[in-house]
Amino acid sequence: MITFDNVTKSYITGIDALTGVSLEIDRGEFVFLVGASGSGKTTFLKMLLREETPDSGTIWVAGRDIGRLPPARIPYLRRNLGCVFQDFRLLPNKTVGENVAFALEVIGRPRGVIKTQVTQVLDLVGLGQKIDRRPHELSGGEQQRVAIARAFVNRPLILLADEPTGNLDPATSSGIMKLLERINKTGTTVVMATHDVGIVDEMRRRVIQLEHGHLVRDQARGIYGEASETQSRSISSIAVGAVAGDDEYETGFVERRQVRARRGRR
Amino acid sequence: MAVSFDYVAKETMANLWRNRVMALAAVLTVAVSLSLVGTALLLRQVVNRQIGQWSSNVSLQVFMNANATPQQLNEVKVLISQEPQITSCSYLNHERSYQQARQVLAGEPTALQALTPAITPTVYRCQLQNANDAPAVASIFTGVPGVFQGHAQYPAQSIRTMQKITNILQVVLLAIAIVLLISSLVLILNAIRMAIFARRREVSVMKLVGATNWFIRIPFMLEGLVQGLIGAIVAAGIVLLSNIGVNYLVRHYLSSSTLPVSQLVVTEVVVVVIGVLVGVIGSTVAVRQFLDV
Repeated sequence: MITFDNVTKSYITGIDALTGVSLEIDRGEFVFLVGASGSGKTTFLKMLLREETPDSGTIWVAGRDIGRLPPARIPYLRRNLGCVFQDFRLLPNKTVGENVAFALEVIGRPRGVIKTQVTQVLDLVGLGQKIDRRPHELSGGEQQRVAIARAFVNRPLILLADEPTGNLDPATSSGIMKLLERINKTGTTVVMATHDVGIVDEMRRRVIQLEHGHLVRDQARGIYGEASETQSRSISSIAVGAVAGDDEYETGFVERRQVRARRGRR
Repeated sequence: MAVSFDYVAKETMANLWRNRVMALAAVLTVAVSLSLVGTALLLRQVVNRQIGQWSSNVSLQVFMNANATPQQLNEVKVLISQEPQITSCSYLNHERSYQQARQVLAGEPTALQALTPAITPTVYRCQLQNANDAPAVASIFTGVPGVFQGHAQYPAQSIRTMQKITNILQVVLLAIAIVLLISSLVLILNAIRMAIFARRREVSVMKLVGATNWFIRIPFMLEGLVQGLIGAIVAAGIVLLSNIGVNYLVRHYLSSSTLPVSQLVVTEVVVVVIGVLVGVIGSTVAVRQFLDV
């Protein structure tokens, strides 16, 4: 579903956002993207949306080399990608229903379809009753549910979430995570960038860790772990995870990654 | 690409309303500048037409002596009919000649009092094929018995002066209009820029969920077009009013026919087209510069 092949990106400011990142994410996976601020998580997500293009390397999304996508096709790429952010990004002057419907309106869906799909997705996120409320009348958790509904209403192949629980308390966060899991169960690939140790440790899903633009850990059923001090431990736990894990896609890939990480440390 | 008409119309109108002060400023500037353009065009048409009428009116007047005999009149008539340069000719007898003299001498009551139909010279008034030949043709009649004077009537020097003055006036009007057009373009650009800024959240969401670039752009561009168009329509109304005024003046002071409707229509069409262009160009530039999709 998503393939990064030796992707490097640096900004004009001289910051290397990503350096030689290669990885593969399969259809239906649930992936946590972890790492300190400035480690390249956001750049990673932006590249998937093609808000940024790599300096070198190739990115494949849903079978397409998106670096070579003509600009006019970018909107159609984005229709396959739902997006959720820490700050919700709802339109304050529209109701819940209108916010969700907006995502379909602007891609030219017929009105009848919009109506049924909006109702469906709001029921899915548990806000069917609040369709006529405005965002400011909702709690943070509810607003994020609306944002998820908007991202998911078009049934994208991939849902990208950039710290979706960053503004929410733990109880609310776990509700959001349950919702994301449910969406993941429908076959949607979920990529979630997060700082939330508790969530990552509890969910035990694949963890991809970036550090100063380098991929330092790619672990099936991983935990949040810590930065470089614990890296060797992480890497050994990757190995354990890879051997013990039933996800065969990991193994060879992780070994390659381990070697590279070790080289980097010497 | 399925851009629904409903959506675009709704968005455009909502934008215009949200941004109404800026929109009003833009519309009014367009209106003022285009009324100047329209009026300048109208003025030009009226003056050109009038000057054309006057210059084609170069005519030859053969003044007979008041006491010329019928035979002398007849001989002159024969001369006229033999002259190939003369296309048509009419004879003003004492009475008609007197009526015309009264008009000419309206400002001089004493001269008018002395004049009676009997002593007013009768006139052959002839049209020439080519205005430049007038002096040559006039000379044929000098010395013919009964002829008082052969007189080529040219458009007066004052017409030339008037032409120059109106040319300058036109240039000034058009210069002001161009400056105003540029400022209205900038105002429309700015209005669209503000609209884009006001809707930056919507725009970012639209980009995120995969709205096509044109889908995002069209409401803004249409907004500029509508501003230009409304300004142009107001200007067209003003031009219509000034046309009525000009027609009144033409009828009362130049006693000639008014502008044909077709020329007015052309002027109005020019005004509307310029208005739409200003709107489209202004909003296109704004969208290209400030809406990075």
